[in-house]
Amino acid sequence: MKTVKVKFTVNNDKVTLQVKPYETLLETLRERLSLTGAKEACSLGACGACTVILNGIPVRSCLILTPEVDGMKITTIEGLKKGEKLHPLQKAFIEKGAVQCGFCTSGMIMTAKTLLDRNPKPKKEDIVRAISSNTCRCTGYKKIVEAIEAAATE
Amino acid sequence: MILPRLMYKKAKSINDAIQLFQKNNGNTFYLAGGTDIVPQVKLRLHAIDMLIDLKAIKELTGISVRDGWLSIGANTTLFEIKNHSQVREYFPALFQSLDATSCETLQMRGTIGGNILQNTRCLFYNKSLEWRKAKGFCFKMGGETCNVVPNAKACFANYCSDNAPSLLSLSAEVSLLGINGGRRIKLEEIFSGNSKTPFTILQGEILTAIHIPLRKTKGAYEKLRVRDSIDYPLVSAAFTLENGKGLLSIGAIGARPFLYSLDNMNENTVQDVMERIYNDSKPVANTILPASYRKKMARILAKRVITNVLREAHS
Repeated sequence: MKTVKVKFTVNNDKVTLQVKPYETLLETLRERLSLTGAKEACSLGACGACTVILNGIPVRSCLILTPEVDGMKITTIEGLKKGEKLHPLQKAFIEKGAVQCGFCTSGMIMTAKTLLDRNPKPKKEDIVRAISSNTCRCTGYKKIVEAIEAAATE
Repeated sequence: MILPRLMYKKAKSINDAIQLFQKNNGNTFYLAGGTDIVPQVKLRLHAIDMLIDLKAIKELTGISVRDGWLSIGANTTLFEIKNHSQVREYFPALFQSLDATSCETLQMRGTIGGNILQNTRCLFYNKSLEWRKAKGFCFKMGGETCNVVPNAKACFANYCSDNAPSLLSLSAEVSLLGINGGRRIKLEEIFSGNSKTPFTILQGEILTAIHIPLRKTKGAYEKLRVRDSIDYPLVSAAFTLENGKGLLSIGAIGARPFLYSLDNMNENTVQDVMERIYNDSKPVANTILPASYRKKMARILAKRVITNVLREAHS
């Protein structure tokens, strides 16, 4: 099957690729661009482990075909830190012990980032509501909520 | 889980999409948010070889007021509709059902058109190809049996849109455009009543817009679910009250939502509708909750939405 030419920006880097038309964004990020922060878990859009930010909106990268993102801007967990300085959310997750096995962490942080972008001072219920999009099988939600609250006060 | 080999086309206009669909002779799905269709394609529930992306078609997106109707482009996301001031103010049943749909992240991607046209679901159907092969194909997969009800003559998969029941309670209409031109019909007319093929929409036809009479209403939506997020409804009830008349819709049991009108809201008519709901609801053991429980909950949720709305109307 003919490949498709796709151009997009990922973490401020311009990328041009030839991809299979049925390749998912998650596959492209992980297997072509070595951006392995976004994880594949359920692969059906239910768990949120593959969440990345597409034009400012959190999306399940496992449900998006790479040709769909032509001309768009993507941010992954790898694009959050500035130089060596971690993003406040990344710092807060480490300091509050909000990372257990770590598999859900990048999705949680990307979802939380879009929440803080649109609502810099969220209430606890806003945080719970936003991260209810993401599943943590270690069930460490309490510390995740605390970490997002801490990052919001920075 | 990888997608099967398929082609991807981005339609520039509605006509472009319809032409692409015709050229490919079926085996094609339209793609909007993809939150419902992509998992189905990954599970090999459909043998398609092309997805036609409708997201670049500007006229399918946005909310406008025209001739006393609020028109919502089919590609408008659930999140955008939920945050529209007139939807909150005029259509509380719809606001609540949008808010109860899946989770915020999927509301930001999923569209109202896709939500309405989602396929029916069954615990024995929404599974991987290997799982279904081992069990044997049922009616919905082109087989000759139902894997839930022995000796059944038809499919019992449930239509699980959160928003169709609330739109039905608001007397919504839909616009469709196909190779033979456009038509505007009542929302209830798109349902076939057959769980295997739940819609009357013609092949290649595109749902372009949803129209709701722009009148202030009182309303409520309730949904039975195990988790407060992500889950599809296991039973749902939407109720809208306007000028003393009520429209009640029960969803997630069988092929289509039921619709009941209450021309006057006295104790007898409400009781009568409760009885009708109990008799009409015939859930089977195809969800994670027992059928008997869902049958009881249909009536309870109906009572709850009516009570809530009447309490608010009298306050």
